[in-house]
Amino acid sequence: MSLLTIENLTIGIPRGSAAPLAIVENASLWLQPGEMLGLIGESGSGKTMLCRSLIGTLRRRGAAILSGRITLAGTDLAHTDERAWRDIRGRRVGYVPQSALAGPNPVMTIGAQLREAILQGTPGADVPARARELLDLVQIRRPELVLAQYPHQLSGGMRQRVMIACAIAGTPELLVADEPTTGLDVTVQAGIMQLLRDIRARLGTAIILVSHDLALVDDVCDRILVMHAGACVEAVPAHAAPRHPYTIALNRSRIELAEPGTPLVTIAGQPPSVGAWPPGCRFAARCDIAQPDCRLGPHPPMRGEAHANACLHPERAA
Amino acid sequence: MAMPERSSPDVEQARSRLLKKVTARLARAAAVSFWVMVIAFGLIRLAPGDPVLARLGAEAAPEAIDRLRHALRLDVDPATQFVEYTWGMLHGRLGTSIETQRDVATIIAESLPVTLGIIAVTLAMALVVAVPLALAIATSRRPWVPYLFRATTSVMLAIPAFFTALVGLIVFGLHWQIAPIIGYEPGFPANLRFLWLPALVICTHLVPVLSRVLHASLVQTRGEEFVETGIIRGVSRLRFTWFYLLKPSLAPSIVLLSYMVGVMIGSTVIIETIFSLPGIGRSLVGAVINRDYPLVQGIVLVFGLFVVAVSLAGDLLANWLDPRVGAT
Repeated sequence: MSLLTIENLTIGIPRGSAAPLAIVENASLWLQPGEMLGLIGESGSGKTMLCRSLIGTLRRRGAAILSGRITLAGTDLAHTDERAWRDIRGRRVGYVPQSALAGPNPVMTIGAQLREAILQGTPGADVPARARELLDLVQIRRPELVLAQYPHQLSGGMRQRVMIACAIAGTPELLVADEPTTGLDVTVQAGIMQLLRDIRARLGTAIILVSHDLALVDDVCDRILVMHAGACVEAVPAHAAPRHPYTIALNRSRIELAEPGTPLVTIAGQPPSVGAWPPGCRFAARCDIAQPDCRLGPHPPMRGEAHANACLHPERAA
Repeated sequence: MAMPERSSPDVEQARSRLLKKVTARLARAAAVSFWVMVIAFGLIRLAPGDPVLARLGAEAAPEAIDRLRHALRLDVDPATQFVEYTWGMLHGRLGTSIETQRDVATIIAESLPVTLGIIAVTLAMALVVAVPLALAIATSRRPWVPYLFRATTSVMLAIPAFFTALVGLIVFGLHWQIAPIIGYEPGFPANLRFLWLPALVICTHLVPVLSRVLHASLVQTRGEEFVETGIIRGVSRLRFTWFYLLKPSLAPSIVLLSYMVGVMIGSTVIIETIFSLPGIGRSLVGAVINRDYPLVQGIVLVFGLFVVAVSLAGDLLANWLDPRVGAT
């Protein structure tokens, strides 16, 4: 029994009488309780929109769920109104937004923000004790000092730790971390990743980690879902060899694999932009092994259970 | 983890920084007051005319003029007069009005509350209208709302306040007879009957400016990332509106408001004259016409102190609401 199931989810921007502009099309994923899933894709691949559908903030960006289903342990998240979302946010789904620096509220002390998150997650909780417990969990030293400080007095890494503490204050079943280390130093980045793993180990929280760094995600996650131009192309277990040409190409372009003195490997071309998706597989134009049938019909769906792949010709991919 | 909540070194440091800032501002306030005193003293003496002629008339006997001039110590050189004036000031003496022979401090103590009353009622009115207005427009999803708002506020700003005041008097005072045209009754809440119309008139300028600045700040705040954090955390609508929209947007409006209130004490000269209110602005007009040197100096000094105090209060309030202001 999986914790989260997304089936054929299509997210788009309604445009009045014209057909809505699709951003994510027929996305599907599942997540086991306590599992850590990496979500990989270039900018504009729809990964952030997919995450926003899990916390109900699509409308703010002018987008909406057009079709498909999202089920979180029996609760339908695709047809949830604002009022019901308030009970889900912070309690059942925790969210760590992209920007560590601009994430915390600048006019509230860390203590006040933790208090807010704790009371939203568990009404009537013993706030001071829980705040210390949470700060301890995210490995912030000198909690009594940090609680009295404002975000601008903290470093980026500390701010993100606080954001994570707030996100797990209500011990949610699912934690979504949308590129939580953007703009942070590499050493700080490693610390945050370790922290996410700790949280998973200690609290059993299922985590969706969004990133564009395949190596990083391969390191810390159990499974990786790869998105390209609004479609899910491959769901591959960590450390397994990728089978979709896009994932293979991503893997080859990893910077640490580069031979010194040779040019870095890149993927030729650009992903098609939203609203200009070609028929068939959207990677076909950039793919070495594309066949004529790759450019026909709708985008191929992912097939397979443990290792799902949307490529029509996986036997040709090397 | 049973550590004391307060007195950690950094918190202590922040507090001493704030204390230092306030002390610096108070020192600056003292300097500003001194210069206001010098300027008020000099300007009124540079103006043509003189209190003795204003009292005795141009046809008075030269001996009488000399006698009064000597009695008022206006026959000594201005530098000595200034030293004497400053000396009296340091001992808490603002001097005696030449026109009425009354203590300047007493005149100010009588008329200042009226003016402060106008300002307080204006402020309350402006906030009650401007804050919800700016919030409603900033959160409105209809695209024509901000346009209508901008057009309306522009028209309001274009109409001069004295004109609005006269129209207000005719409509509310004469036609509907719901506002007194003349007179004043001290003491709260009896004074409200006389203050609401002047305050409303000032608000026709204050509300457009305030709501526009607040609206601009709100629109800016709305686009910031931490606003989404509020939604993600699932905070209630009320908490969201205050902590994630209003509080981060208020600082510029408060600094502006403190400036506007400082300016307002000057503009009460006109309003008090039109509405015949016995405030400090009308006292100033009388004092200038009579070349009542001590009274003019006293009132201008009070204006200066008021502006300095209000702007300090505005800065502290903005700093308290939004700690980013003090950090930069």
